[in-house]
Amino acid sequence: MKMLKTLGRAVAVAALGAGLSAGAMAESTVNIGFTGPLSGGAALYGENVLSGLRMAAGEINDNGGFKINGETYKVNLISLDDRYSPAQAATNAKRLKQESDVPAIFVPHSGGVFALQDFNEKDDFMVMAYTSVPTVTEKGNSLTIRIPPTFDGYVRAFSDYALKHEGKKLAMGGATHEYAKIWAKMIKNQWESKGGEVVAENAMDYNKSADFYTGVSRLVASDPDVMFVGGASEPTGLVVQQARQLGFQGGFIVMDQAKLDEMADVAGGVDQLEGAIGVVPLSTYGTDAANDFIKRYKAEYDKTPGSEAAYNYSAMYGLVKAMQLAGSTEAKAVRAKMSDAMKQLDEAHNPYQVTQVTDKGGFVTETTLAVVEDGKIEQKPIEE
Amino acid sequence: MNLFFQNIVNGLTLGSIYGLVALGLTLVYGILHIPNFAHGALYMVGAFMSYFFMVDLGVHYWIAMLGSAAVVAVLAILCERLVFHPLRNSPPIHDKIAAIGILLFLEAVVQMFWGADFRRMTSPFTGIMRFDGLIIPEQRALIIVGAIVLVIALQLFLRKTMTGATIIAMAQSREGAFLVGIDANRVAMMTFAISGMLAAFAATLYAPINLVYPAMGHVVIMKAFVIIILGGMGSIPGAIVGGMIIGFAEAFGGFYISSSYKDIIAFGLLVVILSVRPQGLFAKGAH
Repeated sequence: MKMLKTLGRAVAVAALGAGLSAGAMAESTVNIGFTGPLSGGAALYGENVLSGLRMAAGEINDNGGFKINGETYKVNLISLDDRYSPAQAATNAKRLKQESDVPAIFVPHSGGVFALQDFNEKDDFMVMAYTSVPTVTEKGNSLTIRIPPTFDGYVRAFSDYALKHEGKKLAMGGATHEYAKIWAKMIKNQWESKGGEVVAENAMDYNKSADFYTGVSRLVASDPDVMFVGGASEPTGLVVQQARQLGFQGGFIVMDQAKLDEMADVAGGVDQLEGAIGVVPLSTYGTDAANDFIKRYKAEYDKTPGSEAAYNYSAMYGLVKAMQLAGSTEAKAVRAKMSDAMKQLDEAHNPYQVTQVTDKGGFVTETTLAVVEDGKIEQKPIEE
Repeated sequence: MNLFFQNIVNGLTLGSIYGLVALGLTLVYGILHIPNFAHGALYMVGAFMSYFFMVDLGVHYWIAMLGSAAVVAVLAILCERLVFHPLRNSPPIHDKIAAIGILLFLEAVVQMFWGADFRRMTSPFTGIMRFDGLIIPEQRALIIVGAIVLVIALQLFLRKTMTGATIIAMAQSREGAFLVGIDANRVAMMTFAISGMLAAFAATLYAPINLVYPAMGHVVIMKAFVIIILGGMGSIPGAIVGGMIIGFAEAFGGFYISSSYKDIIAFGLLVVILSVRPQGLFAKGAH
């Protein structure tokens, strides 16, 4: 009975909250859409992306909103769950456009991005794509912004570094989702073209496997110098830990989806990752803007932010800035001003130092590389 | 040769976990004829409860395991009382829909309290045993031993105690059990409690070598359903043997063929076995 009462109260509070936000909508607002996984196995990823967007929207609104042609607007972020399904993402996007007339929708997975690109130009909204698959922008969709850098830069830099410092024998143990497969194929080509040898290939489903022991022991049995791993950070950490348990001593090439610091939490310490090559985690970035962002994020969410939060945080600020510059919320006009907006962005709102946006819609940042050496994550210059 | 033994150990570990989860599922099915889709959620709640007891309350691993088993047993009884019992005279489809409802409800509740984060739970058994190149982490050995102990304990309970005998009697013949005065409500609650406890034990044994998150039940429940169909719906030896078959198929298939094909191998086996024995390996009669 008590539970029922509590439930009743919760419903009342929720209704009140809805009423309040409806009240807030009476002033001018710009609706921004989000569709991503908020339940199921990838829920954490979706929530991390959303947390960055929410933080930016919250800050903008707390500072009194923003002005377009003298009129003050607030940001209203509308998030829908698509459980990582491209079909559901497309349905959500249609709904966001029809019910809330959003000028832009954030999507954090390549499948969803491709689904939305089928109709976003016709329905007139921007796709804010958080995925580093190069074809997202290569296809030439005029209303797409790709938020992270493409991964081909990483593929070259990581494999060159591993070949030079760790050895010629590579075992491929990446994940099996579409994104990981593209990565794996590019790594393999790069590795072989530079004179390396692929000694084992055993992709594993990082999201649906109960155990990696079997798959990893197959890789270790081929006696490699380097192992290619990567899916979400946490299962990747498990793969690394189990490889070490099975006696693997070499290094790892870590796909950019996984972050070295988050993997270390799971694998049982940074020293487990000795010799791992990956993207530079925000926490070792070391710039003032990055540290300041981490501090504010921690104060709000009580955990260390990853790149998902930071990149989307910047993208939200960039989007709002572009609306101000364009003097409109119309998708085409906003898209045209995105590059200028990113250039003019306040340093504090740009922890990854995005310098501009390419004509095709990709954010431009410096490609970075980090290596675990002597139990520490070290940023390294990229050797040409 | 060592690699061969290594795969036997891997197969045993996986088979033990799958078997324990499938046991709970098959017990409930054998007695109440309910495919409890929510069983994976009970497994997940078991892992979160152990995590809560160990990390937030700081109790020892074994106590956390017992505490979690108690909580999940109560939760399973609640499911029976509040959901399945009122539906006992409805068409079977209602039970199935209700079970899916419980699954979604429990996942959403856990995600509300703990968030979607992947969590790590460390047990006190982090050492690694090595025998001439054969590598067995202690926790994996514990899973195998734990599963054997639990299966023996369950058998003793069912065969040697009066309460256990009533559960078997219900499974063999509902009407017969009623005629000799067995209380169906008591047996139903008891069965759900045991099934919940097995799920919690399995989750607590397995969690230290894996991740704890709200969707963690999906992976094992899918396999558990394959196992009880393979072994025969409602059959206890069927759940154990079926668990081992799937565990070994994954370990050997994943190693000698490819990890990408290990599910194909497991499901292929299901097709082959069902074409030879459509009622499953150990089913006594058609249900």
